[in-house]
Amino acid sequence: MNCSRAKEIIFLYTDNELGEELLVAFQEHVVVCPQCARRISYTRRLLTVVRQGCTRTRAPESLRKKILTSLRQPGVEWEG
Amino acid sequence: MPKKSTSQQEGWNFEEVAMPFVDALYNTAYRMTRNAQDAEDLVQETYLKAYRYYDTFEEGTNFKAWLFKILKNTFINTYRKKQKTPPQSDFAEIEDSFESRLSTDVSGKMKSPEEEILENVLDEDVKRALDDLPPDYRMAVILADLEGFSYKEIAGILELPLGTVMSRLYRGRKLLESAMLTYAREHGYLRSGEPSKMRSSQLREESKEQK
Repeated sequence: MNCSRAKEIIFLYTDNELGEELLVAFQEHVVVCPQCARRISYTRRLLTVVRQGCTRTRAPESLRKKILTSLRQPGVEWEG
Repeated sequence: MPKKSTSQQEGWNFEEVAMPFVDALYNTAYRMTRNAQDAEDLVQETYLKAYRYYDTFEEGTNFKAWLFKILKNTFINTYRKKQKTPPQSDFAEIEDSFESRLSTDVSGKMKSPEEEILENVLDEDVKRALDDLPPDYRMAVILADLEGFSYKEIAGILELPLGTVMSRLYRGRKLLESAMLTYAREHGYLRSGEPSKMRSSQLREESKEQK
């Protein structure tokens, strides 16, 4: 595997989505390529920053109540 | 004429399985509509549709993914038309900035400029960059990075081939990275007199104090 191919599939690697054959080829490349190894840690850090930067906004209590109220009306019919 | 009468029993059952996902659905709805009222309406409509079509849900399949698929379809049908689409970035202009600078600094222990700038990215930068992504990319990134869905699950939710999911994620994340680093660089210019290695946590404390 060369660097440009490794770069293309780096997200598949960090997302644990690589099939076995590509995973082995990717890992073999990374062992001998410090630049790609470094790109992996940068990519992981990037995705962590995204995840942590978007902390979940809790649904407002009023919304929960509205949903529950609608669901608990017996025989209620919703037209889509 | 009612198409389906619903027993109290079924209603409670649906509630038990569906309500735990209300925060996840709301969060995604909020990031997609960028508006609290629209997000509430979108989630409520999602629940009502899910309840109505609950009998079409195949047991043993992923219920959370099924709810998100309904959310996605409702968003496309109702809310997307209302949105002003932000100016689309020209993909040809997205430079892999990390790549271009790193090549001169492979063996050294110094951080590349991007690695350093990444540490100065604030939560606000991430949200702003995500909000500015074109909706198709934003949805893919949210499902993968905030909700932790697998590629296969995302393909099911978005009703797209796996290859399209991969390319949306790739481009979406690259756009996001580029915008985040740009915003963080802007802080850097504002703070040019200060040490460049300041951590994002310190910056956060300071920005609180300044408010």
